[in-house]
Amino acid sequence: MLYFSCRLNVARLPFFAIFFAGLGWHLNAAEPPPRLANFNRDVRAILAKNCFACHGFDEAAREADLRLDTRDGALDSGTVIVPGKPDESELIERIVSEDADLVMPPKKSGKELSANEKETLRLWIEQGAPYETHWAFELPKRKEPPHSADSVDPNNAAVISGDHPIDRFVRARLATEDLTASPTASATTLIRRLSLDLVGLPPTSEEVDSFLDATREDPNAAYDALVQRLLDSPHYGERWGRWWLDQARYADSNGYSIDAPRQIWKFRDWVVEALNADMPFDVFTIEQLAGDLLPNATENQKIATGFHRNTQINQEGGIDVEQFRIDSVFDRVATTGTVWLGLTVGCAQCHDHKFDPIAQTDYYRMFAFFNNQDEPTLKVFEEDVDADQLSRDRQTIEQQMAEILKDRADGLKQWEMQLSDEAKKNLPPNVRKAFEVDAKKRKIEQKRILLAASGEAGAEFTKLNVQLASLEEKLEQAATTLVLSERKEPRKSTVLIKGDFTRPADEVTPGTLSILHPLEKSADYADRFDLAKWLVSPNNPLTSRVIVNRVWQVYFGRGLVETENDFGLQGSPPSHPELLDWLALEFIERGWSLKELHRFIVTSNTYRQSSSDRPELVEKDPENILLGRQRRLRLEAEIVRDVALVASGLFSPKVGGPPVYPPIPDGVMGQGQVQRSWKASEGEDRYRRGLYTFVYRATPPPSLNVFDAPDGFSSCTRRIRSNTPLQALTLLNDPAYQEFARALEEIVKRDGVEVAFRRCTSRQPTPDELSILSRLNTLNAARVLLNLDETVTRE
Amino acid sequence: MNTHEIREALKASTRRHFFSRCTMGVGSMALSTMLAEQGIAAPTPALTGNPLQPKPSHFPAKAKNVIFLFMAGGPSQLEMFEHKPKLTELNGQPIPESFIAGKRFAFMDSSHRTNLLGSTRAFAQYGKNGTWVSDLLPYTAGIVDEITIVKTCQADLFNHAPAKMFMNTGSGQFGRPSLGSWVSYGLGSECKDLPGFLVLQSGPRGPRGGAVLWGSGILPTTYQGVPLRNQGDPILNLSTPQAVSEVEQRQVVDAVRELNLKRLVETGDQEIATRINAYELAYRMQSAAPELMNTDDESAETLALYGIKDPQESSYARNCLLARRLVERGVRFIQLYHTNWDHHGGPTENLQKHLPEISKEIDQASAALVLDLKRRGLLENTIVIWGGEFGRTPMGEVRENTGRNHHIDAFTMWFAGGGFRAGHVYGETDDFGFGPIEKPIHVRNIHATLLHQLGLDHERLSVRSQGLDFRLTGVLPAEVEHELLG
Repeated sequence: MLYFSCRLNVARLPFFAIFFAGLGWHLNAAEPPPRLANFNRDVRAILAKNCFACHGFDEAAREADLRLDTRDGALDSGTVIVPGKPDESELIERIVSEDADLVMPPKKSGKELSANEKETLRLWIEQGAPYETHWAFELPKRKEPPHSADSVDPNNAAVISGDHPIDRFVRARLATEDLTASPTASATTLIRRLSLDLVGLPPTSEEVDSFLDATREDPNAAYDALVQRLLDSPHYGERWGRWWLDQARYADSNGYSIDAPRQIWKFRDWVVEALNADMPFDVFTIEQLAGDLLPNATENQKIATGFHRNTQINQEGGIDVEQFRIDSVFDRVATTGTVWLGLTVGCAQCHDHKFDPIAQTDYYRMFAFFNNQDEPTLKVFEEDVDADQLSRDRQTIEQQMAEILKDRADGLKQWEMQLSDEAKKNLPPNVRKAFEVDAKKRKIEQKRILLAASGEAGAEFTKLNVQLASLEEKLEQAATTLVLSERKEPRKSTVLIKGDFTRPADEVTPGTLSILHPLEKSADYADRFDLAKWLVSPNNPLTSRVIVNRVWQVYFGRGLVETENDFGLQGSPPSHPELLDWLALEFIERGWSLKELHRFIVTSNTYRQSSSDRPELVEKDPENILLGRQRRLRLEAEIVRDVALVASGLFSPKVGGPPVYPPIPDGVMGQGQVQRSWKASEGEDRYRRGLYTFVYRATPPPSLNVFDAPDGFSSCTRRIRSNTPLQALTLLNDPAYQEFARALEEIVKRDGVEVAFRRCTSRQPTPDELSILSRLNTLNAARVLLNLDETVTRE
Repeated sequence: MNTHEIREALKASTRRHFFSRCTMGVGSMALSTMLAEQGIAAPTPALTGNPLQPKPSHFPAKAKNVIFLFMAGGPSQLEMFEHKPKLTELNGQPIPESFIAGKRFAFMDSSHRTNLLGSTRAFAQYGKNGTWVSDLLPYTAGIVDEITIVKTCQADLFNHAPAKMFMNTGSGQFGRPSLGSWVSYGLGSECKDLPGFLVLQSGPRGPRGGAVLWGSGILPTTYQGVPLRNQGDPILNLSTPQAVSEVEQRQVVDAVRELNLKRLVETGDQEIATRINAYELAYRMQSAAPELMNTDDESAETLALYGIKDPQESSYARNCLLARRLVERGVRFIQLYHTNWDHHGGPTENLQKHLPEISKEIDQASAALVLDLKRRGLLENTIVIWGGEFGRTPMGEVRENTGRNHHIDAFTMWFAGGGFRAGHVYGETDDFGFGPIEKPIHVRNIHATLLHQLGLDHERLSVRSQGLDFRLTGVLPAEVEHELLG
């Protein structure tokens, strides 16, 4: 009887009696209490899942002219729901009906209400059928974290008394189920966990040793110092940069069938640098969505707009370019909705949203923000190159050369006339080409070429020509990156019927979702800057919740809201609503600092718990929703590689720069339509972090793909963690991993297998483990170490 | 504008207002029930063991396996199955405007034309029903009594990559699971030493779209298609490194298992059990895949049936033979891609020279596969599908030669085995073969029918993502076409 255990617990903790008002009320009742059906908690999910598809927001799909997503709609008929009178409500009659033609939801839908769900709906109608605003559309509310008198488990002194707000929320919730938190993980586990989580690299043995020493002296000080060191590391930006690049659907090629390589790594580097500098998330948002629109936009702010250039480009023959441009705008709307709002805005592309109050016109108002851009390529020069000065110099030289050309025009003409056809044939190709153009139509560059070749140029011209060539070479030597740039005249945007670009309907102007807070426009015609400000406005109930949740899920393998990309009506409600709101508000109050958010989470005891399972947790909370322990998580694809690189001593710590080509198996690049070359990098670039591996969307690098790296086709807000034989084959046999194994073998030979074991797992092996490894030769011992579950897992 | 200025601008334009309200406490239901009803405990596949373990179908299945012979590029139905004397008669004349008004085609701005192009192939009638097949496919003509030819297939998208995705995933959008992934997800695999979904390729280049065509999209990668390669290792990274003997490889796998087991006991994490299983399957694959690829045990008569001259050489014919061997081993879904069928009339893709060549490459082996499966009693349980992402227009397209453009209004596919009707022609098109005059069948309905034969209800086979239940057949109504079934 869980109810009694809850009651006992509450009785012991007077504060909860107030906090959980519902339970307090139960306590006063003499007989078993009637259940309460709370709309947001209990009822909405049932209606959303089973009813809204035909009786929801989408007018076109609505059946029997009945909508159940609003109270007005539900009461309109007067018979479907009669508040307070379930027995007179047709809704109840229909859901309990045994007549196959009458029962709701219809058999054909494949949906069926459980007995509990039916009872909940009955109770809810009995209570007057009250509706509430969906929790995620209301602003977060700050609620003081509950104080707990017994956060120390009497049976386990290792559990530190938790005053951390996160712990207070989590333990209060655990206590209601008569559960306790787990003991703190060992110091070795903690440094490995923290290192993998904050910088995506395992700690070196020296780092482990010094942390163990410091922990013996003062565990909290040692831990705080470690957190600080890791947050200061340039590798922090790489690890969390990848988290953001997943959402930005970053990859290094154009996608679709041709999948030509593209250059947009400057955007990747911008993300890494911005995170390392702890750019506040609101600014981070604005620069990416509207960097080009900022007054005096810097080069970096323009590079940041590459966020929405990570869309695919179809280069297939015979396509309608406009169709695929529109597709990329669709992608921008959907991605913006998913990444910042955690809403499936994209669903309203073809029709009103079936579940969330997002009308199709809302969608196309968002669309209009992203329909007004050109999609240029920006040249980015090395920092020590002053491109503007170089351009001015070039202009000056060109003018001087033009003067000389004018003077020598006659001489040039004579030279041309006296040249025989035979002589012309022997001239260099660029000169021949210039001759082919009619003399009157020759461009200035062609005239320069001819004069230089004529022998009539003179010393001054020759000198200038050399200077010009050198300037042009310098100006050529720039990386390029894809950016957005606003058009002066906005394109006309309309609703597109069923999302079909050949079927325009009513004209729309840029605007935001009407269900959320109003947009503040800086001019009549709103632009992306307005949109970006709207997204990070504290009046927005979603953005901060969505982002803290998405950070949280990296640390615990699951968000407080499990549906991290759907905070709408179909999404799952938060497991710890007060904690989510608390974090969301703290995030804003701490200046949208991601580093502070990370620090805040990792310094909680909830984060520091052991990840080992406990029988009572297995029984009551097998999915660890209440966070009675940490969770073992298989490392992300790139980090699987990074750990092997560090363990084997091959790791290159170089940050940033163009993507690299580590060895891949033969024949992989032949899978797509166009065979792409893949010349394996040599030297340092062969051993760079997985973040830097070149990713072709159509033929992704197998060793990353097999560990569930996203493909860059659309925004990825949570990676799947699969566990497959192909992963085993990769770690056992892939050419790159063979190279890592040989390098680790050298370490086994030089320093012994114990040292190699520590490099992979951060901990000392047990004698048993050593004896298993001792049966193998050095190479195979090294291979076993790289293949251990523990090596590819954060514990 | 620098960071500070941006922040100031933000502060000025917005005002915070927070309010709090008393929140209801938790109820008193059992935790697990409560969490489940709140939708928090997401339906995840069992954490233990093998995610590809065979699963019961929704209802008794007619077929267990699928072999999809994918003719990448869009084969011309008008040169192969659609006998249209009227089209030949009106060769060179413009197609009546009523056919093409408001329609969109690929290459609209350049080479697309509206003059009819009659086929120059010789057609004849075969089999019990006098089914028309052209001289390009003499062997296929010989099996018309075993197959159902569907002339009225319809798709939504007419550019290669999106159309291939559409045929494979039911959507032109990225991120949807492919047919093979859905089937593996729905039924698991009965093969203990090979993946459940394998992809074989032949032809001059890979199919447009690449790995996404056999990707698992929103399903776990466990269900994605694994390319079985013609050169190097048949499966990526299958070979033990040269410096390691087979005995040593076994020792390594054993040691990994022992150490992982210790960790499993230590932590109680069931994922470790899954990983132990994965290593065992990987190890078995290391011997099973080369054994599969070694066709020494095939008789000369069998090789001759498929038209395989050199069994070592990779070819479509060899892939057909391998497909049969895979079915024998219980592999659930096998897809062959053969390129290139994109006969626009360009220098390397014309109807006069290249279409006959590529037809010859696939004709004998495709027919042999059906016959070979049948004589071994495997055809009953195996669906063989032949077709591309779309067909080709009755209008000629003028490039270096005259060819045909992409066409999605009516194109031909054929189906054999697995409960599909033998010796049947489904649907009829107009005199030009432009559109159906009866029984159009959309790709959605083809998908629904295929799943049905495998014992899966296309409306129930779904996975939840982004708050939606995704299905292979999408949100528009789809129906099982019973007339295709015997």
